[in-house]
Amino acid sequence: MDEGRVRQVVQLLIEGRHRGYLALLSGFQRLVRLDRQAHTARVETAVPLPPDLLASVQARLAGAYGTGISMQFAVLPALIGGMRIRVGSDVYDGSVQSELAALEKSF
Amino acid sequence: MNALVLLAGQQSGGQIEKITRTFGVDWSHLLAQIISFCIVCALLYRWAYRPILRVLAERRKQIAQGLANTEKIKAELARTEAHRQEVMLRANVQATSIIEEAHAAAARVQQQETQKAIAAAEQIILKAREAATQDYEQMLAELKHEVGRLVVQTTATVAGKVLTAEDQRRLAEETAKQLPS
Repeated sequence: MDEGRVRQVVQLLIEGRHRGYLALLSGFQRLVRLDRQAHTARVETAVPLPPDLLASVQARLAGAYGTGISMQFAVLPALIGGMRIRVGSDVYDGSVQSELAALEKSF
Repeated sequence: MNALVLLAGQQSGGQIEKITRTFGVDWSHLLAQIISFCIVCALLYRWAYRPILRVLAERRKQIAQGLANTEKIKAELARTEAHRQEVMLRANVQATSIIEEAHAAAARVQQQETQKAIAAAEQIILKAREAATQDYEQMLAELKHEVGRLVVQTTATVAGKVLTAEDQRRLAEETAKQLPS
């Protein structure tokens, strides 16, 4: 999504002050947020990723969701092991924490 | 024969006359007394003896009637006694029948109550078994849940310590492989 065009749309809506423009702005904000989430990948690991694996993950994400995708990396020791990737509504969870949660749920 | 009688009469008349003179009998007074006595007898017979006889006859009749009534009463009493005996016999038979019916009814009621009690007991046992089974299943589920929680907790505690760098890498690579190419 082009940031300049988003700004332009918001500016037009504010200046026009059409009836219900606040609701339109709110809906547009939600759409922008969803689009931003769809183009943002959050990668969580229990320990920092080695550089080569980090590059591999970046390449795979770019291949799957396009080069415009932004990436956030975070270290969460609570995951115990493995990695969890969230892109919009897509979740790839291979963490030990999720496996243990599934195991606990099965009991 | 007649001469003898007359002679005897003369002789006896002489004797009677002698006796009357000896005892001082006055024939006129004697005759009057006899007549008075007869009149008294007639009056007594008319006004005393006949009513007494009549009363006695009535009394005799009443006694006879009383005796007859007594016989009647005895017969009636005998009939009443027989009737009483018959009524008592009938009542005895009826009472026996009623008692037997009561016994039968009591037996039926007892049987019904016993059946009800057995059904209620079976129902209670069934409910108790169901409750016990439910409790057992609930306890089993809770136990499984608790065991699972402990296993997960222990595994989480242990896994964080035992996972090597190689393990972490392998796990991350497995997740990376899930990404679409």
